[in-house]
Amino acid sequence: MILDLHSHSIASDDGRAKVENYCQWIERKGLPLDGFVLTEHRQFDDASDYRALEDRFGLLILKASEVETEYGHVLVFGVNDDLRAAFDFARIDNPIAMVLAESERCGAVAVPCHPGRPKVGMCAHWETRGPVEGVRIVETLNGGSREGENEIAERYAEEHGWSRIGGSDSHIVSHIGRCATRFEEDVRDIDGLVRALRRGRFDAVRPEID
Amino acid sequence: MTAEELKRKFTGWVFDEIDLDITSESLVGFATACGETLPKFTDPTDPDFQGVPNYLTRIHGTRALPEDFPVEMHRCFDAGKSVEFHAPVRPGDRIHGTSEIADIYEKSGRTGSMLFIVHRMNFFDQRKTHLATVDWRLVQREFDA
Amino acid sequence: MSTPAPKRFEDVEFGEDLPTISPDVSLANVKIFAGAAQMMAGRFIDHEDARANGLPGAIVPGIMSQGILVALIHGWAPNAEVLSVDTIFRAPLLVDSQPTASGVVTDLDEETRVVEIDLVLKNEKGETPVVGTARVRL
Repeated sequence: MILDLHSHSIASDDGRAKVENYCQWIERKGLPLDGFVLTEHRQFDDASDYRALEDRFGLLILKASEVETEYGHVLVFGVNDDLRAAFDFARIDNPIAMVLAESERCGAVAVPCHPGRPKVGMCAHWETRGPVEGVRIVETLNGGSREGENEIAERYAEEHGWSRIGGSDSHIVSHIGRCATRFEEDVRDIDGLVRALRRGRFDAVRPEID
Repeated sequence: MTAEELKRKFTGWVFDEIDLDITSESLVGFATACGETLPKFTDPTDPDFQGVPNYLTRIHGTRALPEDFPVEMHRCFDAGKSVEFHAPVRPGDRIHGTSEIADIYEKSGRTGSMLFIVHRMNFFDQRKTHLATVDWRLVQREFDA
Repeated sequence: MSTPAPKRFEDVEFGEDLPTISPDVSLANVKIFAGAAQMMAGRFIDHEDARANGLPGAIVPGIMSQGILVALIHGWAPNAEVLSVDTIFRAPLLVDSQPTASGVVTDLDEETRVVEIDLVLKNEKGETPVVGTARVRL
């Protein structure tokens, strides 16, 4: 099963894609994707309900968040009320150790995204501020990364034995699915995604190449 | 001041106005440099000669921000522009533009912590026809509340 | 140069690519733009001045990038009524570089005859310093 684990809609301040258009794009272009996860910036989008689109297009559409820490951005899968009470999703300086620990405590999974990117990626901060406890998975394939950035992420993942996910980081319709994650098991909902991420049987892929 | 405090104080009111005359030369130069070839944008003798839809994005008021807005301009850059086009601008038009701050928020990016300021201009011609609404996303790097 | 034929809404397909163009962002042309737009700052028209200010070289004004993308639309559909354009400037586009501009149709509204388009300016490395969207009526 292949899911794009990192995308943004118009709910994000810099997102320009409507979710229905993402679905149409995947369908009309025949992308080898079974679904995608909306990881809106600094918020969890409570209001939107994509079940009708899921039924219409036969895609899995899940909701998650991209939060900001002093070590860069982190994707959080399995956001729930407990986690939202644990820290302020709108802040840009959440302590990464706290985000990782609270996600674990509340039954979610936190994944540093585009870790090879300057300032908003974990690796640069790892070098200057020191290592962080609790990292298990990182995003090694990000569709918006520049030359060398995914490679830095891959090197860290290899060195530390972290699992790897992929996501397009799309902000416009036509960028969905540039990178994704292939799971060995079926994922049916957000709880299933969290379980699958915890089991570690997945890998980062470029769907149109791999 | 935090981003929220700045937003409460500085958004939603007009802080600047400007009047400007539009010339054919400017309209043609803007269009042709961008690669336009349609006569209505490049030929002043065309019966429908007008500015390209995003022409008015080039106009700024007398100031980028309200007086006593606490920003360091040397740390600022242009993060994007959007234009809602309502009606064409023509040579000889006298444009009236108003400026307000539409939104302020904080996020982190490749250059570190950033304060986003959305500067909104509305443009009208001498007949008070609303020509365009332009949002300019100005960003101050290394924002420290 | 002949003008392309008008584009009918009925002939537009979801996912249709606009013809890619290679815009002129040479220093000479950027100077023409800067003069017309009254944006004669050194960072746009002088490589040395730009470098002295921490940039890798002179940069293309953001609104010129936006104008290039609007011209891309008009090259595809000369009769297009551009209702809105929204561009995000993620990174500088360098003067005297060789970018490409492309677009693709991402939504069609039959009732309003409005087409939505994703727009991208790509540099020689394949990076996308400018992305955006537009709504046009046909």
